[in-house]
Amino acid sequence: MTETLKVAVHERDGLTILRTEGYINNQGGEEIARVAYEQIDQGRRVLLLDLAGTKIVNSIGISILIEIIEKIMEIDGKLAFCCLTPTIEKTFNIMGLAQYAGIYPDESAAVAALAA
Amino acid sequence: MTRTESDPHQPGGTSHAEGPIDTGAWRRLLSGGVRDDARAATWAHGPLARWCEQNGVRAAFYTDGAESDWVRVACAPDEAALLFPETLDIAADPDGSAFARIALPGGVVLHDGTLPLAEDDPTLLLLATGARIAALEREVQTQSFQARFRGVELQSLYEVGLAITSTLDLDDLAEEVLLRAVSLLDARRGALFLREDADGEHTADRYRLVRTIGGAARDTIDADAARGLLESCTAESCVIGDGGGVLPEVRFLLAAPIAIDDRARGLLAVGDKESRRGVGPFPEEDQRTLGLFANQAAIAIENATLHRLALEKERLEREMELASEIQRQILPAAMPDLPGYDVLGWNRPARQVGGDYFDVHAREGGCWSLTVGDVTGKGLPAALTVSTLHSALQLLAEHMASGPAMIARLNRHVYESTSRNKFITLFHADLDPATGHVAYVNAGHNPGYRLAATAAAPEELPSGGLPIGLLPAASYSAGAIELAPGDLLCLYSDGITECADVDDNEFGEERLIELLIAQRDAPLDAIIRTIDEACTAFADGLPQGDDQTVLLLRRRAD
Repeated sequence: MTETLKVAVHERDGLTILRTEGYINNQGGEEIARVAYEQIDQGRRVLLLDLAGTKIVNSIGISILIEIIEKIMEIDGKLAFCCLTPTIEKTFNIMGLAQYAGIYPDESAAVAALAA
Repeated sequence: MTRTESDPHQPGGTSHAEGPIDTGAWRRLLSGGVRDDARAATWAHGPLARWCEQNGVRAAFYTDGAESDWVRVACAPDEAALLFPETLDIAADPDGSAFARIALPGGVVLHDGTLPLAEDDPTLLLLATGARIAALEREVQTQSFQARFRGVELQSLYEVGLAITSTLDLDDLAEEVLLRAVSLLDARRGALFLREDADGEHTADRYRLVRTIGGAARDTIDADAARGLLESCTAESCVIGDGGGVLPEVRFLLAAPIAIDDRARGLLAVGDKESRRGVGPFPEEDQRTLGLFANQAAIAIENATLHRLALEKERLEREMELASEIQRQILPAAMPDLPGYDVLGWNRPARQVGGDYFDVHAREGGCWSLTVGDVTGKGLPAALTVSTLHSALQLLAEHMASGPAMIARLNRHVYESTSRNKFITLFHADLDPATGHVAYVNAGHNPGYRLAATAAAPEELPSGGLPIGLLPAASYSAGAIELAPGDLLCLYSDGITECADVDDNEFGEERLIELLIAQRDAPLDAIIRTIDEACTAFADGLPQGDDQTVLLLRRRAD
């Protein structure tokens, strides 16, 4: 009965994009972490999280996203976000995520910035 | 304070277990990516090594890390790293391993010494002080995280308030409120219900689901069940199975009423407070936060309802204006020119549109028809019947001669084409202008008056049948008068004679007759103006209760 977040992995111009659909809570965050760590284990160093399909994130989800950022920083990689709702973008700014992960309006802008 | 082994998760009063959020990664980010244990190692190693050397033991120092286990931050000598585990799960094994243990504020020392060692050794106190400082640092950072999240909460409440003023779409607002509430309360699930009559459209005493997050919810819930749920469901104590029948499979529910002026309009429910370890009940402060969001939802509903009512009123006004325009086109815009006669009609509906009707039109053979009708009721329903009457009279006049047969045919048509409680009183007259002969049928209408130029009192033209549309097979009798030069014919509706004053006295036929006698030689517009002013003065400020119509015909004296 409980809906869980879905993550789809795409490649665009050499950049690995994780597109989410659903609520980033404890379960949703762990699903993102699972997929992200799989990509890291496969050698990816730069990941883009496209949150176009996500309207809501809670503090547990934020703490998991921070763990993913930390993990990527440990391997000198980068995590970036795009397609955030205004609410989620404000939340990320207040919580300090924006200091450690790039935030882009859409995938094209992110791809252009991260490829440069 | 010395830490006891029976209280493994309270080192110096600080623990990650205090809140549902694991702030370890966040703290590490603030610390430039350095792990807590790595930072601790820089200050712990020296004192521990000295202490080991002084006592001839091998030892390891553990602090309460950000993770669930205690973390080894230093050991001495270096090769002892193989001896002591990297982490300790004190909750699972409070007695520890085979090593001796010295509990310190903010940490624990394991060592392989066999004799009791002084716990107040200055070196150990140095370790304890360092651990305490590290714990306090973590506490400050945890508080900082929580303060930032409080900022998110305030921002959310502020933005929900802004959303309420920027959109009046109830579904959009419901989603906004629910998203914020579920997010800020770390709920796994949520649902917002509104009473089916919350927006004034329905009257059923139940709640319908407007929006859900995180999983399915019941489509509707009975209002009594909702009340019962709100009474029984409070923070902490609300540990119930299957979401209280609202959110299936939810174990811990928190609900708040959406109420306006103490009238229940809906229900805001969240389920299963999340932490990294699973779900649990909601703390007391979450009840307050949920209540704030429920209040915002109530304001939104009130605004949207008022807006919808205003739009509805505006739409009705536009429709009434249109109906009024149509009715103005049905009633004659100007009086025809009848050689040898003056004719004038006047109508004022009690509302924007009315149920009174009058008409003057030429017939074949040089005759003229004069009609005054009064449909039961007022407003739009009566106006629609007026439209039916007008169309039927126009068609019948083309195919039938005036008289009782035509009125009987009209009666049948109106009976068949209107609702049972609608009927029309009608005075229909045919004037031969050459002779002054007037043949009329009065179908249940007020009597018309003929004021002969030479007579002291008017002649009444009484009813000769039932109102139109009352029975399917009514019959009518005709009457006739002769209008001599100077004679006046007055037809009117009961809105004139039944005009009431504050004591509910009616204007009455006698006053009308007196007025007609007094004004018999005045111009027709002056007579009508006098009738209008007399009725208005009689009502003495009371609003007009019924539609008013007067139709006057005078044969000129010359």
